[in-house]
Amino acid sequence: MKKQTASYKAKKRTVNIFIHVLLAVLAIIWIFPIAWVVMISFRAEKGSYTSSFLPKSFTLDNYKKLFTDTTVLNFPKMFMNTLIIAIFVCIISTIFVLAVSYCMSRLRFKMRKKYLNIAMILGLFPGFMSMVAVYYILKAIGLSEGSMVRVALIMVYSAGSGIGFYIAKGFFDTIPKALDEAAFLDGATKFQVFTQVTIPLSKPIIVYTVLTSFLGPWLDFIFAKVICRANADYYTVAIGLWRMLEKEYIDNWYTCFAAGAVCISIPIAILFIYMQRYYVEGLTGAVKG
Amino acid sequence: MRKGKKALALLMATTMTVGLAACGSKGDDENKPTPTPANQGNAGNQGDQGNQGDQGNQGDQGSDGTDPIDVTLTVWGPSEDQNAEQGNWLPTMCEKFNEAHPEWNITFKYGVCGEGDAGAMVSQDPTASADVYMFANDQIMTLINANAIARLGGDAVTEIKNTNSEAIVNSVSVDGAVYGVPFTTNTWFMYYDKSVFTEEDIKSLDTMVSKAKVAFPLTDSWYFASFYVANGCTLFEDGFNEAAGIDFTGDKAVAVTNYLIDLTANPNFVNDADGAGLAGLRDGSISAMFSGSWNYSSVKEALGANFGAAELPCITIDGQTKQMKSFAGSKAIGVNPNCANQQVAVALARYLGSPEAQQAHYTSRSVVPCNTDLLAQDSVKNDELVIAQNNTFDNTSIIQPFVSAMGSYWDAATNMANGIINGDVTHDNAAEMTDSMNAAMNNNGL
Repeated sequence: MKKQTASYKAKKRTVNIFIHVLLAVLAIIWIFPIAWVVMISFRAEKGSYTSSFLPKSFTLDNYKKLFTDTTVLNFPKMFMNTLIIAIFVCIISTIFVLAVSYCMSRLRFKMRKKYLNIAMILGLFPGFMSMVAVYYILKAIGLSEGSMVRVALIMVYSAGSGIGFYIAKGFFDTIPKALDEAAFLDGATKFQVFTQVTIPLSKPIIVYTVLTSFLGPWLDFIFAKVICRANADYYTVAIGLWRMLEKEYIDNWYTCFAAGAVCISIPIAILFIYMQRYYVEGLTGAVKG
Repeated sequence: MRKGKKALALLMATTMTVGLAACGSKGDDENKPTPTPANQGNAGNQGDQGNQGDQGNQGDQGSDGTDPIDVTLTVWGPSEDQNAEQGNWLPTMCEKFNEAHPEWNITFKYGVCGEGDAGAMVSQDPTASADVYMFANDQIMTLINANAIARLGGDAVTEIKNTNSEAIVNSVSVDGAVYGVPFTTNTWFMYYDKSVFTEEDIKSLDTMVSKAKVAFPLTDSWYFASFYVANGCTLFEDGFNEAAGIDFTGDKAVAVTNYLIDLTANPNFVNDADGAGLAGLRDGSISAMFSGSWNYSSVKEALGANFGAAELPCITIDGQTKQMKSFAGSKAIGVNPNCANQQVAVALARYLGSPEAQQAHYTSRSVVPCNTDLLAQDSVKNDELVIAQNNTFDNTSIIQPFVSAMGSYWDAATNMANGIINGDVTHDNAAEMTDSMNAAMNNNGL
């Protein structure tokens, strides 16, 4: 009997060791590129290529240059542009997504089924397919020049977001309908049910929506490029980072490019850390009521 | 998709033109842009007209001194040219131009668009792009096809032809028509460490490789052709005959492939990818590299007093000495045919390409001038960078073909170079691989 337990333990240990080694290897593979970019951003040697894999000396100058040397590439301005756009996009598209999801989950109307299908099929096409058309429409309504470029970008990133309602709708479907009905009996309107019952119960999905919509403007390159064109004052960070790798700049800006990449992760990380605690709060509130 | 885009462009252009006509003065009428994506002849006419108007108007206004005409011009150039720390070349020159022309009261709007991006950015929507912009000459076909560049005529062409070498004029001409005012040459040449190589050494790449490490960006197809061209291979004959195709065939091409296999096997040969060459110059492990004027300040800093720059070396193929030849082009100033004030735009383009402007560009940013009078001046003529770039342009380069069929060249060349570097191409299959490279380069389908 004892012997058997021992062999079972040994077996379990071997399996565990194997699993942990595998996980460690995977974690290293996954983490490494990120760690490397962070390391490059502190590298003191110039240029895009070094003979040694790890930097020989470290410095903060790359960050300093990134934010002070605005002669050729005005990174602080690009950063602020993107931040402003991201904040607006985040607010507008979160409202859109939640409103559409609520309608799809709770309301019953004639086109509902058809609409769900249409949205699904439209969602299958890549967004940049309509890039040229979007540009000409924005130009026609006068949003393609000067400071209106920011408005144009906010519109581009947030206007279509309502179509990405599937995940939030799925979440709303799991909230018991009985709660809504109880509220209706108490005389609540549909809007009140949405704001006072559904929203407070949906924190995880709101966090998810906020994060994804905040990320969009930081990561998108193609729309920003097509819409900003020569308006350098309204470039977003993606265009700035791309320009740093052009042949004229790469030698001087490569380490700053890495620093820039690290910097854009900061606002995203802050938002995530702040909102992360809501992730674990699920339907716990529902029981109290 | 494409048709839809055109139709939409047409619609927008029509709307735009109506708008322009409503607020434009009567003088604009003859230069009014045609809303259709016009054919080349049409674009040419506009350019010509603009120019004739230019001459006429200048004469008129000079004599009777009427009120200045208000003009708004959008000008696009690289960000370095619009930056106070690097001389603010573009705005300075534009303001000077405005002062020199009291008959016009010009308001300038500036945009950032590097010469290499002009093709894509201006063609995206020529009706809402710069009136005057800077472009690299390899973009010329893209711009012509999008009706985004005006053919120059009259005085402008005479002036360009009189102040530039024939090769430079050819680099901005298509079918005999001139499309831009050239302001600099654009090519690559050799940087080397004077303490390692002598003047005699740098005449032969083989001698150099036997003495010290040399970096060459073989896998970059802009550089790759230089070896094949050295041994008599041609691209579109002289670069302008699209029907002739690319001729990288036969013994002459196979001999080069074999030469490259041996060259890359030499431990002193480094393929310059991802900036390896410049990093090597910095730490002293590499003594020569091939690049262009954009790396001048970095190389100068790395090599200090031992800085050397020169035209391309020769290579020895089958016992014969052959001269390597780089692709060369020019950067020029173009005028948008959709611009409402053609005569002002053309005059500004001519001014930005004038000796005065080129001199200022050279002083502020070391942009090598191409004006023949300016090049004859001592201050310019003795600059190592100018010597290297111009000798390369004049002696060891061919004009980079910009015919549409050239599009198939780039990937085929990169693939071949990669094959040579990683050992897929060997002496045994060199002939076969060279043939398939040539077939790929001449394949115009997808």
